[in-house]
Amino acid sequence: MAEVDVRKPLPAITNEAKPFWDAAAQNKLLMQHCKDCGAWVWTPRPLCNECGSEHIEWTAMSGKGEIYSFTVIRQVVGRAASKSFEPDIPYVVAWVDLDEGPRMISNIVGCPVDQVTLGITSVPTLLEQIQLISRQGPNVIGDDVVK
Amino acid sequence: MSIRNQAVIVGIGETPTDRLGSKPGEPRKSSAEYISWAMRLALEDAGLSLKDFQGQGLGVTIPTAYPQPFWPEEVAEILGITPGLLQGGSTGGAGAVSLLGGMAAAVNSGMIDLALVCGSAAPFSEHWGGGIQPGDMRDWEIPYGTMGPNSKIAMVMRRYMHEYGATLDHFGKIAVAGRYHASLNPMAYLKKPITLDDYKNSRLVADPVRLLDCVMPANGGRAYIVASPERAKTLRKKPIHLKGFGERSNPSYGPRAGSDALVMGVKDAGKVAMEMAGVKHSEINFLELYDDYIIVVYLQIEDLGFCAKGDLSFYERTDFTFKGQLPIQTGGGMINVGQPSTAGGTLHIIEAVRQLRGEGGERQVPSAKTGLVSGLGVLPYGKNLGCCAVAILGNEA
Repeated sequence: MAEVDVRKPLPAITNEAKPFWDAAAQNKLLMQHCKDCGAWVWTPRPLCNECGSEHIEWTAMSGKGEIYSFTVIRQVVGRAASKSFEPDIPYVVAWVDLDEGPRMISNIVGCPVDQVTLGITSVPTLLEQIQLISRQGPNVIGDDVVK
Repeated sequence: MSIRNQAVIVGIGETPTDRLGSKPGEPRKSSAEYISWAMRLALEDAGLSLKDFQGQGLGVTIPTAYPQPFWPEEVAEILGITPGLLQGGSTGGAGAVSLLGGMAAAVNSGMIDLALVCGSAAPFSEHWGGGIQPGDMRDWEIPYGTMGPNSKIAMVMRRYMHEYGATLDHFGKIAVAGRYHASLNPMAYLKKPITLDDYKNSRLVADPVRLLDCVMPANGGRAYIVASPERAKTLRKKPIHLKGFGERSNPSYGPRAGSDALVMGVKDAGKVAMEMAGVKHSEINFLELYDDYIIVVYLQIEDLGFCAKGDLSFYERTDFTFKGQLPIQTGGGMINVGQPSTAGGTLHIIEAVRQLRGEGGERQVPSAKTGLVSGLGVLPYGKNLGCCAVAILGNEA
């Protein structure tokens, strides 16, 4: 993908999501894990949304997973903010099923668009290909994430 | 507790759809004008008037682009109704079917004995602007460059094709059958029959989703009227009974953080509805399934239990036309009539009522006695559809 551009629409950093983005700025992938029922919670929630417990803790993920599905974006659609993605076309948006279970929407970078397939588990730098976007003031992190 | 046969549909109103300027002579009307028009048609159909609805139920589907949350109250003002029970659709595109269940329950309770359910949108005539709304889409999807619902359902379609070996030949079958029905429906917007090749060659919009996989936005208004069986006795048309109803929102199959994206909430909602109605699959004469995309029609057929997940041989051997073994989308569905935002799903209720009354015209399902209608809404993070509702309708108590 092209150098991430701060004019692209950025996430809002809600209270429940802040630990995710703080960790992402340190190149770490954390998700909430429930200490009571063992469920993973994603996207960030105030309580475990399997059992309602407040004992959910931000936990490091292995960084391993497989592509459950993907699409290749070849045209911008809809609202004006979309136009900021035009320079990146074509690019991949994927649903990545992490080994622990949660499904994460991500881009796949560092792999030619026409070589992306379902079920990739063996691409060695899969997590490095998950490009995370962080808003920490003007900082934007790149596409390397520590396993 | 069951509401089987405790509420009936006594009136329907459907304005033509238009895409303002796409065909010569299309009118420029506001969403207020479409909803008023739809109400007027439903009142005429039922033989009721505005005064009958004072202190009664009013249900309104809420268009996605509308920038303030009080649209249902505004509609009461536009129409001149003082409802005793005002409900807005909470389930996105499933709103029209959800409101049927809600208003039927209210009728059953005795709180009301009439309800008008209506909706409209005029995306081609009105532009309310507005930016990106809060929620998962803003924070976890758009930053990665997702491009709207087409790019999301593309994930589901690709996964299904991967898991079951389905091809465009499979999906095209129902696309072709739906358009054939549309060619027999005076209210359809797209009426020209298509071939399987037309479907397969239609423009790619979000790999692998093609143009003929997708519903198109349109202006239009829709309405239907619910009544108690007692009240219906004084009215002119054959009452159509709500025999079963089920709903599920935020359905999850497997862990919530990684739900099976090929199973839809209709699996549970449909089971509840069919058990309430006391009907078997073989007794359902037709299906009017929410069709924002062709792929979700297939998933629903499976999750409602008409065949096993990914059973391609079922699709290959079944005739889905109105004279076939399992008539589907008998008016062409939303895909061929067009979708006025969240009012779009009302179409399936209206078409089911027509079929059960014997008003299906050239596409009348023979001996139609019982039909199934579904509504779907909202495309949430990493799943298929976030809301669904299933109604079983019949023309006998």
